[in-house]
Amino acid sequence: MALVLSRVSARFTDEEKRSISALEDISFSIPEGDFVSIIGPSGAGKSTLMRVILDLMPLTSGTIVRKYEKPAMVFQNYALFPWLTALDNVAFGLRMERVSREEREHIAREKLKEVGLAHLEKHYPSMLSGGQRQRVGLARALAISPDFLIMDEPFSNLDTITVEALKTDLLKIWRTYGMTILMVNHLIPDAIELSDEIIVMSAHPGRVQETMAINLPRPRDTRTERFFKEVDYLTEVIRTVS
Amino acid sequence: MIRSIAHPQNRAWHRTHLTRHRRAWVIMTGIILATALLVVLGYFSGVAWPTLGNAVFHTTYRLILAYGIALALGVSIALLVGWSPFSDALFPVFDILQNVPSFALIPFFIFFFGFTDQMVILFAVSSIIWPILFAVLTSIKGAHKDLGDAATIFGARGLRRIPFYLAPLSFPAMLTGSIVGIAIGWEAVIGAEIIVNISGFGAFIKTASVSGINQATIAGMLVIIIIVFVINRMVWAPLLAESAKRYAE
Repeated sequence: MALVLSRVSARFTDEEKRSISALEDISFSIPEGDFVSIIGPSGAGKSTLMRVILDLMPLTSGTIVRKYEKPAMVFQNYALFPWLTALDNVAFGLRMERVSREEREHIAREKLKEVGLAHLEKHYPSMLSGGQRQRVGLARALAISPDFLIMDEPFSNLDTITVEALKTDLLKIWRTYGMTILMVNHLIPDAIELSDEIIVMSAHPGRVQETMAINLPRPRDTRTERFFKEVDYLTEVIRTVS
Repeated sequence: MIRSIAHPQNRAWHRTHLTRHRRAWVIMTGIILATALLVVLGYFSGVAWPTLGNAVFHTTYRLILAYGIALALGVSIALLVGWSPFSDALFPVFDILQNVPSFALIPFFIFFFGFTDQMVILFAVSSIIWPILFAVLTSIKGAHKDLGDAATIFGARGLRRIPFYLAPLSFPAMLTGSIVGIAIGWEAVIGAEIIVNISGFGAFIKTASVSGINQATIAGMLVIIIIVFVINRMVWAPLLAESAKRYAE
């Protein structure tokens, strides 16, 4: 297992200094190399869960066993450093690992090429489109050779055509690198198309409502009856927890 | 490198910036020509230019030194506070301190440093530091949470967070804080020079006003305006333009 959560709860203090329960009794495990999606309504604490897993936020109770060594994250709002070029953004993690300039730039160029942005390496984030920024974000994550990749709604700010292209690239990258991916997703068909397993969360506080294995063969055809049945079932589950 | 701007917002910003830039130069050229004309017509014949030059030099070097110290101190304190877990607690303390009027503290500076260069410079530091410190601290506290998380996840932790994340993050704020700080700094240095009557532009205009030589006062003001403009156009404007392009959302 790459990650095991056992009865994890987390609270945070809101602006009025009230203690709010964000996550309650969250338990699940993710096998190494799997692609797992988390879906749920707004307020289910999906992003909070990602932060807790990455140790960016303390948990109130429960345990997390992390078997991965090098996590990376792709953000919904890209979170690229505006003062760095695309190349330097991608190389940032390597620079923090004290990799030599020559080597990190070589790796960063390779990763930019992999996501189809080799020609934009000198561009600053403000000069890139949303899709291009997300690709730089993905390249930045891949540059440090992660064994565990967390993606927090990476498609939510992008247009359909860009999302389709990114999904194809992501699946290719996942197969190539063999890493474990945990993705927060709000689009049911996308989650089914990409995932081995889907964790459905309910809101206020965030709880795991259902864990659902997706056993459709890969590459997945999104126009088959089986695919639509999975979508219908998951839509119904989400409806009951919303 | 970043001249080939594709983003329409950037193009609009660039046009507005160019218009402002041209307008500023037109106004300044007018002031310089008017000054030159007054010199040619002999209006400033009674002005002791070497004395004025010496006074402006003293004031400017005190300001530059004070700014350098305030920048180093203000940015360092802001980065350390922004980096520490106590920033929320320290913010109100700084807020109270910056509200203390600087000139109310001038007796303390005179008591400790006398009627000296150091006194004027350190007094100016106490005025310049606040806008820089607050601008940097506010930019750190106001940064998007995701950006800070990305810095942490990709390794900018511990003290390495300061040079690789917090410092570049707060660069535009440091710039705007500096512009405000320098403006306050002119007032502080000239004001302190007037109060302690130490050689400098403050003492020069004080003497000029008392002895009723209005040409000297006007000449002094024109020289200061020209210096302020040159610093603004040569230093701040290019840095602001670069920062606006690079840090655009």
